[in-house]
Formats: sequence, structure tokens, C-alpha cells
Amino acid sequence: MEAFGALLDGFATALTPINLMWSLVGVTLGTLIGILPGIGPALTIALLLPVTRTLDPTGAFIMFAGLYYGAMYGSSTTSILLNTPGESGSIVTALEGNQMARRGRGAAALATAAIGSFVAGTIGTMLLTFLAPLFVKLAILFGPAEYFALMVLAFTTVTTLLGSSVVKGLTSLMIGLAFGLAGTDILTGQPRLVFGIPSMLRGIDTVVVAVGLFAVGEALYMASRRDLREAVILPIKGSLFMTREEWRRSWKPWLRGTALGFPFGALPAGGTEIPTFLSYFMEKKLSKNPEEFGKGAIEGVAGPEAANNAAVAGVLVPLLALGLPTSATAAILLAAFEQYNLQPGPQLFTASGPLVWGLIASLYIGNVMLLVLNLPLAGLWVRLLAIPQPLLYGGILVFSTLGVYSLSNSTFDLVLLFVVGLIGFVMRRHDFPVAPAIIGLILGPMAEAQFRRALTISQGDASVFFTHPISLALLVIAALVLLLPALIRKLPVQKL
Amino acid sequence: MNTQRQTSVAGLLIGFGLVAIAAVIAVDVSGMRVPPVHAKVGPRFFPLLVSCGLAVAGAVTAWQSWRGTFESEESHPTDWAAVAIVSAGLILHMNLLKPLGFVPAAVVLFMCVTFAFGSRSFLRDGVVALVLAMTAYLAFTRLLGLQLPPGVLAGVL
Repeated sequence: MEAFGALLDGFATALTPINLMWSLVGVTLGTLIGILPGIGPALTIALLLPVTRTLDPTGAFIMFAGLYYGAMYGSSTTSILLNTPGESGSIVTALEGNQMARRGRGAAALATAAIGSFVAGTIGTMLLTFLAPLFVKLAILFGPAEYFALMVLAFTTVTTLLGSSVVKGLTSLMIGLAFGLAGTDILTGQPRLVFGIPSMLRGIDTVVVAVGLFAVGEALYMASRRDLREAVILPIKGSLFMTREEWRRSWKPWLRGTALGFPFGALPAGGTEIPTFLSYFMEKKLSKNPEEFGKGAIEGVAGPEAANNAAVAGVLVPLLALGLPTSATAAILLAAFEQYNLQPGPQLFTASGPLVWGLIASLYIGNVMLLVLNLPLAGLWVRLLAIPQPLLYGGILVFSTLGVYSLSNSTFDLVLLFVVGLIGFVMRRHDFPVAPAIIGLILGPMAEAQFRRALTISQGDASVFFTHPISLALLVIAALVLLLPALIRKLPVQKL
Repeated sequence: MNTQRQTSVAGLLIGFGLVAIAAVIAVDVSGMRVPPVHAKVGPRFFPLLVSCGLAVAGAVTAWQSWRGTFESEESHPTDWAAVAIVSAGLILHMNLLKPLGFVPAAVVLFMCVTFAFGSRSFLRDGVVALVLAMTAYLAFTRLLGLQLPPGVLAGVL
């Protein structure tokens, strides 16, 4: 029950007026960017990094976590009323949610999404509270070899599970790793892939790559697709109070969605997309009226929306306890920890207890705030959707260039931003997943450092990775993750 | 899913591009002088690994494109003019930022983007651009203490 005591201390931190304010700023901003298409939590946190450099880290992380949760709440609104997901975690919500809105039950869809998100977010946060300390105990056993093996596992899972093909996932990962290589080698101080440009000695900043891929790449892509430009916003119809029947049909999907979302978030599988899809198909299978699916089945909104919020809580377990990001947003959060010279993992829990537990406590508070912000105020948020697309993307690019420039007041960063943006455009156009690139960019240098550290300790003997049991187990799982899908595909199974 | 098996030119270009990047990394790293202490697992090992990975990914992509099994969205109609205008906006912005200052550069970028996205309400877009750029400038320099180039508006703002 040490976690419980620590959590109470955490509440003492989170309930100070200043931290409550950061939480409110985070959840409000999160809802806002969740609703707006084209701007997501990874991009927003990346843009906020230069601004928050001088801020107290506890407040900054409370804001970032609120933003991550808030984006999951807000994105359901866009999915339901606009049929365009605000975030990738709400793609499935659009399937049934938009149909519900078309049939005059938009309010019920918004309500089941918001209450489901609250239920899942709260249960997920409880699981986080009690699992994170257990993960920390595990992490103490980890040496450089184990950390390296863990990162290899993360690389293989994001490569195989995200995107339409393993080759595309691998390409994206390798591009990210290549970006991470540029700059001064940490251990020997030698320049690598600098091409004689002094500005490259610092390396390519995470923010530049994230903003380039997410904002510039996305803007170029949306500009190229004229057919995606017009969208119809449906008005909210019906009562926000769900009927007894709707409650009855929602509560089980909420719980099942939570049960799927949390473990998938904690696994290095890229966060929220996979569990939401799984939850949708599960609800469709289990439903007593499967014929309603495709025509506005409430279960198809309740399950996936719960799954994506639970996944966010799940993502935070390996991030805080092991320093292992399992989604693009988590990777940016890891970059935020680096900015404050904090190292997630066991040291973080012992050295920065108030920060970690204040952050976790703030998630409980943030969930309550989000329920209030999203249910009664849904009508207000919807007005944001009326922002014309040209102005929205104009604003996104102005703030993106501003954020990147203010990193180090260098126009060279803007050149890099444009180049990365072009790469992002090509990736988006040809269906390459972006998350592996972000994870590769941030984990790559860490994996290299752990790899070389492990080999230095073993005096160059590469067998360390296979003689340490935990490291061996992780590498075997990594190999299985890479090979199993290929083997399964060889079996004569009909694809959908 | 696209059933017709056609060679994808874009896919071939992507594949060759990846192989070219792999080659650049390999050449750059082989030119490094590594002190003998670090010879075993020095700063070259990891880049060479990444270079191999990129080369493999590029080769497979090129092969798939040649055989017509490379999946992409290029069958959709593409508004290349809009892509060019947004790109022009970004290039203008990075060149105007220091000489003219943040506000004019941001307004130019904003106008390029809105034009590319099909807006022809120049007055509305211009007013929004100006208000947004001024607010951002004042908020970032006065409240957050960041430095942005004032340019032609030095002394006015």
C-alpha cells in the first residue's frame, strides 16, 4: 500500500492552485486540439517544449498529461459530428458515431463517448497507480544490455504492428533512426552526418522532426487532396442524458474497451489505434443486434472511446517506470523529460517522487475536469469545427514555424523543418506510418548508448545480450514479433 | 485495395532514394577517424546498421514497386499546385523572417497557405493573419520572453 500513501502525497501536490491551473490549461488545450483536425497531442506538446523550458517541470508535466487525455476526449466530438477523426485513436468512433449523429442521436453518442472516456480514464489511472511501482521494481534489475534489448523489442513491435506493411514500418523506423544519428557522437565527441554544416553539430532537434512530420507534412498532404477539403458538420441532436437503454448498452463496452486499451497502451505497439479497432470488432461480435453496426450502434462508440482513453493510461506505465515510449506522443513526452534532465525509470520515482505522483494524481483530477468540460459544454466546442480549413492550416503552419524557430533562433532549423515536411508528405501520401519514425528518432540514440555501454562493461564481448536471461527473453520476443506475422500470413487465411 | 498490377514510379523513386540515403550515411561514416580505443564498438557501428536497414527497406520498396505490389494513395487526384504554393510559402517565410521580421513573414506564410487551400477571401484572411501574427509576436516576446526578429516593425511593436 506504499503506492496509496505516495498517491495521497501526489494529491497534495496536484491540488495546489498553480498545479490545478496547469491541469485545467492542459485539459482545455487538449480538448481543443483533439477537436481540431490536423493538430494532435504529439505536435502540440512538441510545439510547447521550447515555451515550457523555463517552467517548473511538475506543472509542465501535469499540463502535458492533461493535454494527452484531453485530446482523446475531444477527438471523439470531431469523429461523431464531422466524420473526420480528430486523432488517429478516434478513427473507429467515426464509423458508428457519425451514423448516430445522422440519425439524430448525436448527443447520446457524445455522452457515451465522454462518460466512457471518464470511466476508462479513471480505471486506467488506478491501474497505472498500482502497476507503475511494480514496473519500477522490475526496472531495477535492468542493466544496459536489458535496456538495449527492451528498445529492440519496441522497434520490432512498432515496425510490425503499425502501418499497412512491415517494409513501410521498417522504412519509417530507419528514417527516424537516421535523423537521430546526425550530430556530435556523445561518447567520442566526433561529428557524424554533419556534412560540414556547423548548425548540424547539435543534431536534429526532436521538435523539428515531430513538427515537420505532423504539421508540415500533414498540411502539404491536405493541400494536395482537394477531395478532403469539404466536410459537413452535423448539429447535436437529442438529449445529452442517456436513456436507461443506452446506459444498459454502454457500460459493458466501456469496461471491455478499458480491458483492451490499457494493456495495449502499455505494450510497445504505438498507442491507441490497435486497441480501438480491436474493441470495435469485439463489440460487433458480442452485440445482440449486430445488424445495427454501420447504422449507428452505441456499443461501437462506447467501446473504442473507452479503449483509447485506457490506452493513454497504459502508455504512461512503461514511459514513467522504464523510460520506454510506446506511442508518438509518449516519445515526445520522453523528449520533454530530457529537456528537464530527468530520466524516467526507478530514479525518477525516488528522486522526483512529488513530480511523478503529482502527475498521476492530476490524471484523476483531469478526468473529472474533462467530463465537465466535454459533456455540458459540447455545444460550445462544436463551434470550433466551424473554423474554415484554410485558416486552420494557415494558423497551424504559423505556429509550427514559430515553435521551431524559437528552439534556437536559427533559420537553419526552418530549412530542416521544410525538408522533414516534404519527407512527411511523401510518407503520408504513400501510406507510411509516422509513429515508428518518431520513436526511432528518440529511442535510437538511447539504444546506441546502452548498446555501447553494455559492450564496454563486457569488454567487447557481444554475448552479454544473450547470456543475461531478461535480455535474452526480450530479444526472443522481439524476434517472434517480427517473424510471427510473416508465418501467419503464409497460412491460407482469407483476408477481410 | 488496388488490384491492377502496375509499376509504381513514385515507389521506385522512394526505393532508390532510400538506397541513396543509405549510401550517403555509409560514405560519411567510413570517412570518420576512430581512435583505436573505440575501434570495437565505436561511433561507426550503429550508423552502418541503420545504413544497411535503409538499403534493405529501399531495395524491397523498389522491388515491390516494380512488381506492382506497392500500396499507395497516388491514385487519388493530386492538387500539385496547392502543394507548390504551401512550399513556396514556407520558403518565403524562412527567407523573409530575419530581414523583414516575424510579423510580415508570418502573414506571407499564412496567406500562401489559405490561398493554396482554396480560400479567395483575401480581406478576411489578411485580417486574421495580421491579428494572429501580432498576437503571437506580443505574447511570445512580452509574456514568454522568447526572442523573435522584429524586422521592419522594430520600435513600433
